[in-house]
Amino acid sequence: MFRSLLDYIRLACAYLRINLNAQLAYRGAFFSEAIAMFINDGAWVLFWVFFFTRFPVLRGWSFTDVVSLWAICAAGYGLAYCAMGNAHRQLASTIANGELDMWLLHPRAVLPHLLLGRTIPSAWGDWIFGYLVYLVFVRPDARHMGMFMILNFTTAMAFVGLGIMAGSLSFYVGNAGAMSDQWRDAVITFATHPPALFDGAMKVLLFTVIPAGFVSYLPVATLKSMSMRDLILAFSGAAAVLGISVGVFYHGLRRYESGNLISMNG
Amino acid sequence: MRSAARYGWIGYTAARSNMAYRGEVLFRSSFLAVILYIFMRLWTVVFAESKDSRIAGLSLPQMLWYLVITEAVFLSSPRIWAEVDQDVRTGRLAVQLIRPLSYVAEHLSRAMGERIVRFAINLLIGSIVALVLVGPIPMSISGLAMFAVVLPVAFVLDFFGMFLVGLSAFWLESAAGVALIYMRCVMLFGGMFLPLEIYPDALQPALHVLPFASMLSAPGRMFVDPSFALLKESLMRQGVAVVGYAGLVFLVQLVAFRRLFTNGG
Repeated sequence: MFRSLLDYIRLACAYLRINLNAQLAYRGAFFSEAIAMFINDGAWVLFWVFFFTRFPVLRGWSFTDVVSLWAICAAGYGLAYCAMGNAHRQLASTIANGELDMWLLHPRAVLPHLLLGRTIPSAWGDWIFGYLVYLVFVRPDARHMGMFMILNFTTAMAFVGLGIMAGSLSFYVGNAGAMSDQWRDAVITFATHPPALFDGAMKVLLFTVIPAGFVSYLPVATLKSMSMRDLILAFSGAAAVLGISVGVFYHGLRRYESGNLISMNG
Repeated sequence: MRSAARYGWIGYTAARSNMAYRGEVLFRSSFLAVILYIFMRLWTVVFAESKDSRIAGLSLPQMLWYLVITEAVFLSSPRIWAEVDQDVRTGRLAVQLIRPLSYVAEHLSRAMGERIVRFAINLLIGSIVALVLVGPIPMSISGLAMFAVVLPVAFVLDFFGMFLVGLSAFWLESAAGVALIYMRCVMLFGGMFLPLEIYPDALQPALHVLPFASMLSAPGRMFVDPSFALLKESLMRQGVAVVGYAGLVFLVQLVAFRRLFTNGG
């Protein structure tokens, strides 16, 4: 079991290196996308700067709390799609167009190869932004920074799970590209706004259908409390999202129909 | 006259084409409902914690209707930059230029056709959400007429901005990054989520001078709090911005097209 896990980590590192080299063949496009995403995230933080300048506290949430929310989201999103770029927006169309064949021919499980097969340039901008904004605005001590790095993995797990689940809709409803985009965007939008804004039935939705709670609310609560209980909750929630999504993917894969396409990966 | 009819027909065809996919456009617009819900909650909390019944001169219902308009305008923007970017990178531009049509005017008429349909659908969805969440706001025929004057100019301005972004493909490998930055500038400095009056005082003069305010804040304000003074001020700023943007498009196009080579094939 441990050896198998180690093998998969090696595989992930090899894929990451190859994907990054492939992207760097178009250096200008890669850096411009990464920098643009960095600036895009910065614009949102600037929005909150303006907001909190006028309204310093929002139901107990201060500027640094919202920045932590943004930092954890951006870093998690970045890590998820730097390493597993095929869990990003293309998955739904890949399935709908019958382009999974190439991945089905690989030895071992389909899903890890499929997910690791691409890196998203803009995600690198997100990842760096997440760490930088946390260091600059929150100025954490070593304990908080360590916790942030651990939580980066739980958030990334939740994002990968969300991506697989959203993309797998194509197994069931045909081309679910628009639907999966809307779902993903809704989760990201809720995840980057303070949970104090929502209550009642909405809170239930945010930990089920729209799992923003596992993407950012629980990780930020963990950063605030630094308690092991919250960390376990955040990890369990993200693992549950990922586990369910893997189940949905393999269940849907039984319904997959090949597009009889010959494609090359390069 | 014949030329105007030709471009009008292009716009009409683009609108008809978008109507054919109204189901998809409607589905994609559902994201607007999510944004409006979140910001309605945000402003409800802000108003509840504030002693004032008005913020930036707007009541809570006006604030949400302002968001409906700014969001509907922003989200109805067609991806003109991507079309120009593709034309440049694939060399399709060379074919476009030999047609008996102005490249800019053809894109403008198509963008306006597409945008009218998208804006109408966004407005429909936004209005339903706003009516459910905060109810109606007082409106008048004269106010709506003034809004109808400011809105198309805002569309034209945004078109020029997007077109300029697309032309950047002459110098960059991809215009996608520039487009993202441009859209965030419109969102942030145009007053999409926050009326400009909420921004720090030191920034306000600059924000009002930038063309982004004429794209979002001007129609938003005109819808919720119309007045002749605001109309005059908005049209003046929009006029200056349109002339400036159009001049810039002309100049950039002039320089860019010199870099165009056709190799046959």
